[in-house]
Amino acid sequence: MTNDAIAVEGVKKQYGQFEALRGIDLQIPYGEIFGFLGPNGAGKSTLIQILTTLALPTSGHVNIAGIDVIAHPDDVRFTIGVALQDTGVDPLLTGRELLILQARLFGMNKKAAMERASELLHQFGLEEAADRRVKTYSGGMRRRLDLSLSLVHRPKILFLDEPTTGLDPQNRLSLWELLRSINQETDTTIFLTTQYLEEADALCGQLAIIDHGQIIERGSPQALKRKMRRDVIDFEFMDRQTAEKAFEMVTSKEFACAIADETLHVFTENGAQDTRILLPLFEECQLEVVGLKVTPPTLDDVFIQLTGQEAK
Amino acid sequence: MSTMKTYRRSFFRDLLVLTKRSILVTLRVPFAIIPNLAISLFFLLVYQAGLSGIGSIPAFGGAHYLNFILPVAIVSGAVGGAGGSGQALIRDLETRYFTKLRLTPVSRTALVLAPMITGMLQLMVQSTLIMIVAYFMGLQVPTGILGAIAVILLASGWGLAFAGYAVAIALRSGNGQTAQAATFIFFPLLFLSDTFVPLSLIASSWLKVASTINPTTYVFGAMRSILIQGWQAKPLLEGLLAIAVLAAITLIWAATTARKTLRRA
Repeated sequence: MTNDAIAVEGVKKQYGQFEALRGIDLQIPYGEIFGFLGPNGAGKSTLIQILTTLALPTSGHVNIAGIDVIAHPDDVRFTIGVALQDTGVDPLLTGRELLILQARLFGMNKKAAMERASELLHQFGLEEAADRRVKTYSGGMRRRLDLSLSLVHRPKILFLDEPTTGLDPQNRLSLWELLRSINQETDTTIFLTTQYLEEADALCGQLAIIDHGQIIERGSPQALKRKMRRDVIDFEFMDRQTAEKAFEMVTSKEFACAIADETLHVFTENGAQDTRILLPLFEECQLEVVGLKVTPPTLDDVFIQLTGQEAK
Repeated sequence: MSTMKTYRRSFFRDLLVLTKRSILVTLRVPFAIIPNLAISLFFLLVYQAGLSGIGSIPAFGGAHYLNFILPVAIVSGAVGGAGGSGQALIRDLETRYFTKLRLTPVSRTALVLAPMITGMLQLMVQSTLIMIVAYFMGLQVPTGILGAIAVILLASGWGLAFAGYAVAIALRSGNGQTAQAATFIFFPLLFLSDTFVPLSLIASSWLKVASTINPTTYVFGAMRSILIQGWQAKPLLEGLLAIAVLAAITLIWAATTARKTLRRA
């Protein structure tokens, strides 16, 4: 039907009265690292569940590697690798045992399964821990094991749900490195959701931002940042209440702004000039500014401006 | 597609691989098996020690009390062993390894069947152990070794029926507490019956009625006939019928629950 790795057309998902997805369209070419961003409850997990054969859409079409997900889930399972946040592994088995089991369930014979397990343990730096039970693994090791499990059958397309959530910066960087090398060496298409915008910025060639079950923006990280007005002014206040008062006031002056915790982000073409206009206004209304920063936009700002929320 | 040619689907390979894994995991948590075996042996040793004298009451027809109480130990062990298959599923649901398995092309039937087979194997090993202990306590069976095997097979059939129940509850609830609570059905099933004395010696009429309705009574009946009197068609057929009816009900329930749980929604 299409030549794309992932083709989503008019996908809707309804839970009773609640519309989790309201018409998603996506075309992702082979070889891409695609980032999917959105606040909690925006529909990220629902979409990834549909793409990975765990759930059915209420309406719409999904083709993965040209295979219809709704009609042929098992054929899709052979072509995709999946590491979801809401899956786990049996802590009573060892890393090697889990890898061999996974390989066997994907149809490899015993010998091939054992070889593939050793190969992956080596590639992911898990050789030393290979024959220890998973319950003794650290968070970073578990994450690497989970990723290696998803690659056992050499899938063409990889789905990762928040692959680095909860990892310390060092482990996060090394996982990014791994993902890049998987993408480059085997030309594996990677679809990942993340709540870290710097992660999307560092890894992804293309992004989509979802909110309230709809894709509200897409493009490369660079293009998204360029779309922003030039500067972002962050006014930090004593508390949320003050920040909200400031928000109302600034909005009434027709500035584009968003609020996150005690900080008001104002998006503007000229940061220096507008700071000089806004500061006296806050003073007049006795809204005490405790911190001030003028910066070029980050992906965080794109996200905040689009969804009105911080990416958490 | 090249990837699909390299990998073949096979129900039996899936079942074998998953059952092996299930057995491995069971052996790694021996503390889950030991209490169950201990309770069975407790029944055997304590009731034999405390009540063996009543074997001389005419209602026992000259049978040794050991032969009379042995089926209680075996059935209680069987129910516990079979319940383990539900516990194994719950563990996978709680660790979410189950979802990981669902993302592979593994046979959905094998996914549910593997822990049941493991439960059955556990039950058979346990029943054999209890038999051996009883042998060293002086058990003599008129039907010999074949009789002992027949009793173990009856226990397996009864266990299978209970495994169906345990699996259905596990899939339905998905949490350990509910499944644990549901195994308490084991108590009325085991004790509202001619557990300790023959039906003719039970004085209260409500317990008599309950015993007559309780299918376990007929399983005890079949086992005791083999262990005490020899091969007899009537109690044996009654026992088999009770097992067949109950197993049919619980296994159909388990299968429909599994289909519902594993279906994409």
